[in-house]
Amino acid sequence: MATADTWQPAPSMPPPRTETGWIGWARANLFGNWLSGLVTVVTVPLILWAVWRMVSWVIGPADWTLIASRPQQFLIGLYPTEYAWRPLTGWLLVSILFGMAAAMWGGAARRIALGYGIITVLLGVLPYGLFHEGVVMPWWVRAFILGNLLTLALGYGLGSNPKTAKPRTFVLGGVGIYVLLLLILIGIPGMEEVAPRKWGGLMLNLILAVSGIFFAFPIGVLLALGRRSNLPVVKVLCVVFIEVFRGVPLITLLFMSQVLVPLALPANFPVDSVTRAAIVITLFSAAYTAENIRGGLQGLHPGQAEAARALGLPGWQVTMLIQLPQAIRNVIPAIVGQFIALFKDTSLVYIVGMLDILEMGRSIVQGNVQFADNARELFIFVAAVFWVFTYTMSFVSRRVERHLGVGQR
Amino acid sequence: MAAEVAVAADQAPVADDIIVARDVHKWFGDFHALRGVTTTVGRGEVVVVIGPSGSGKSTFIRTINRLEQHQRGDIIVDGVEMTDDVRNIDAIRREVGMVFQSFNLFPHLTVMRNITLAPMKVRKTPMDEAEASALELLERVGIPEQADKYPGELSGGQQQRVAIARALAMQPKIMLFDEPTSALDPEMIKEVLEVMKELAASHQMTIVAITHELGFAREVADRIVMFDEGQIVEDLPPAEFFNNPRHERVRRFLSQIL
Ligand SMILES: Nc1ncnc2c1ncn2[C@@H]1O[C@H](COP(=O)(O)OP(=O)(O)O)[C@@H](O)[C@H]1O
Ligand SMILES: [Mg+2]
Repeated sequence: MATADTWQPAPSMPPPRTETGWIGWARANLFGNWLSGLVTVVTVPLILWAVWRMVSWVIGPADWTLIASRPQQFLIGLYPTEYAWRPLTGWLLVSILFGMAAAMWGGAARRIALGYGIITVLLGVLPYGLFHEGVVMPWWVRAFILGNLLTLALGYGLGSNPKTAKPRTFVLGGVGIYVLLLLILIGIPGMEEVAPRKWGGLMLNLILAVSGIFFAFPIGVLLALGRRSNLPVVKVLCVVFIEVFRGVPLITLLFMSQVLVPLALPANFPVDSVTRAAIVITLFSAAYTAENIRGGLQGLHPGQAEAARALGLPGWQVTMLIQLPQAIRNVIPAIVGQFIALFKDTSLVYIVGMLDILEMGRSIVQGNVQFADNARELFIFVAAVFWVFTYTMSFVSRRVERHLGVGQR
Repeated sequence: MAAEVAVAADQAPVADDIIVARDVHKWFGDFHALRGVTTTVGRGEVVVVIGPSGSGKSTFIRTINRLEQHQRGDIIVDGVEMTDDVRNIDAIRREVGMVFQSFNLFPHLTVMRNITLAPMKVRKTPMDEAEASALELLERVGIPEQADKYPGELSGGQQQRVAIARALAMQPKIMLFDEPTSALDPEMIKEVLEVMKELAASHQMTIVAITHELGFAREVADRIVMFDEGQIVEDLPPAEFFNNPRHERVRRFLSQIL
């Protein structure tokens, strides 16, 4: 019996075997009660069977010639072949950013850069583009693609040098490279112009998504702040904007941008249909971003703003330094989800006649008798490409969340 | 000395009163939360405010830095009348520090950034100077080793001491405390009270503190002010307040919280 003098804390023991490890997990999650056990017994074999059928088709009878013979169309659509060096140059520039991020942030950024490097090497050396008679990938294209390893290394060097490894340099460099990329694609004065209408493939999806995210975020922040403003005019404008763009399907907005906007603008208004589509996608996404951020602002404890005001910070600094950073951090998962949706929605530009990666593929299948039976391969390939990008985004989001969680506990 | 202050409190406001409240009224919708509060606080005075929950204590001290707006009467802080004039409000908030029951530290900033934010943004103090004085303040509240942590990594008592350091970093003339220890576990109350006692004893600044720590009130307060139903019912030096209150209401309240 324990008395005051001899009292000892009981030793800490490990939990029972059956509650840990995969056995414990299966007991808790798959066979927790008779109903869940039944569901498990019925569904698991079904799933395994379906997966097995898929896999054996993919590695067996599936014919990937369609994918392997048309890398150029999938990557850049109908961008003229004689100017293919322009997007390839843009790609080289983008690699610098991947390298820099890997060196500056390590961890997740390094793993992404590694995957990016591996994919680049595969694209450079795999014998695709050779199956289809007459279409041979020129050696100089392979040289360009493999050159990305050099610019990746260059970026890594910049990211390791304390002089250039600054978040500000990275962001400004990123914006600079992006603008430069667009200029090269369109053609700076003196170069032959390639109208955005001719852009296509994965490049088009990425450009629409990056522009969308880049502008949707700040516009969304402003809309969220405007909706909470004390000025009735600002508030009403923001509410109307948000509700209109959230209330109308994106596909409708895209149609409207093509047929209605020209009515409202001068006949020769210099905005082509791609730019119009990009603007609509951006504004659509901004409306959702605004509501996410507003939710984050509303979730904050009112004591945060009070403490900041009590310190004498002026109102706009209370917003910028105290409320917004916390609100944005709290809704990062929702915002990333929003951006993933935006990236996927870029496929909708097919309705205004653009050949994004999906529509490009469909038109190859439809226009070539020898590929008429390959729609399955096409959709699996396109789905996989989209998945790689969206999964990377949610991977980054989870890492950022965990990293920022430090201050929240 | 205590008797002197008690007399001063009953007199009309004099030039050296840093806070003057005259017939202050405040409504929340239809609810009459402050019903004619008149009092003054002298420079360097330490005033403890007590009273039942909902009696308007917080509302009153929050009108002093205009986190709440009063609707009738006057509040004059350090010679500046509290009106809607934004410049007046910002000027006063720089001179008035506030410590809250729920700490309200900024969770996304380190302890160091919590403390240096306002001096750097509002007073334009250079970063190295602001950091040096932040370290001194952390020393003073007894946690110099926590500068690089985030608030979420500290105990409640440590967080509240950081909140005090954050308010002191603006070198305020007045410090307002709104039940700074009532969200704390018992073993942490003492460490926060020690810091407050040290502040009060230094007589460098005026302190208005809502707290039900009667030992603290007895030890450092110049006056104890009791609120009930949006009014001040008693305003006496501690000795008289505890031994010889003028109102039966005070005795009843003390018997409830002791
Ligand atoms: N923002 C508010 N809106 C409506 N009623 C409030 C608000 N703040 C305080 N009150 C009410 O005013 C009264 C006084 O509150 P408060 O000053 O916080 O009391 P104390 O601090 O003495 O407990 C309470 O009845 C409270 O419910
Ligand atoms: Mg209160």
